[in-house]
Amino acid sequence: MNEQRKAILDMLAAGSITADEAERLLTAIEPGEAPASGSTERPKAKAKYLRFVVGYTENGEPGRVNIRVPIALLRAGVRLSALVPAQALEKANAEIAKSGVPFDLTQLKPDELEEFVNHLDEVIVEVDSPDAQVRIYSE
Amino acid sequence: MPHLVTLRVKRPGHRTIRLWIPVLLVVIVLSPILLLALIGGVIACLIFDMKVIPTYAGLWRVIAALPGSHFDYEQGRFGLLMTIR
Repeated sequence: MNEQRKAILDMLAAGSITADEAERLLTAIEPGEAPASGSTERPKAKAKYLRFVVGYTENGEPGRVNIRVPIALLRAGVRLSALVPAQALEKANAEIAKSGVPFDLTQLKPDELEEFVNHLDEVIVEVDSPDAQVRIYSE
Repeated sequence: MPHLVTLRVKRPGHRTIRLWIPVLLVVIVLSPILLLALIGGVIACLIFDMKVIPTYAGLWRVIAALPGSHFDYEQGRFGLLMTIR
């Protein structure tokens, strides 16, 4: 690394590269700020997909559902939901309430939903029962 | 934007059906109907007091985010697989 730095500085001194180019080259060869602990662990890559895997047994036959949803699709859906007019949400609330679920969709703010989607990276849900297994995770 | 939809249907006692559907080709073939649907959508937006351009932009974002979706269902010897690329 030191040799690379020295070579760049030599080129700068010789006038074969400009100060800006030298700065860019130096930045390129530097690995960034070293972690304080000195560990070489890489930062976790951002999850791109949300995976739903359900395994179950019905009438003695095994069944399996495997769904992969791009997180970008969830994000786009959240943004689209922000455009739903208030009167439509009120009608949906009334229908949900009829089913016995007092849920107010107007209280779901797009910003909060987007925050929720942003934190899906860390989601792992596992349900195990004798007849079925459900696993939800990001990848 | 999605460019290929793959569909596989497995049924007991039947041959497995595999379909590769090029999205662009389907869009071109169905373009007259899609045009009418777009116009209908604009009218619906105006009736329901929704902003037309942000609504279409949001719909486009949803369509553009579809690649990578995968749906796989198996029950015994029946199976359905759909992937969007």
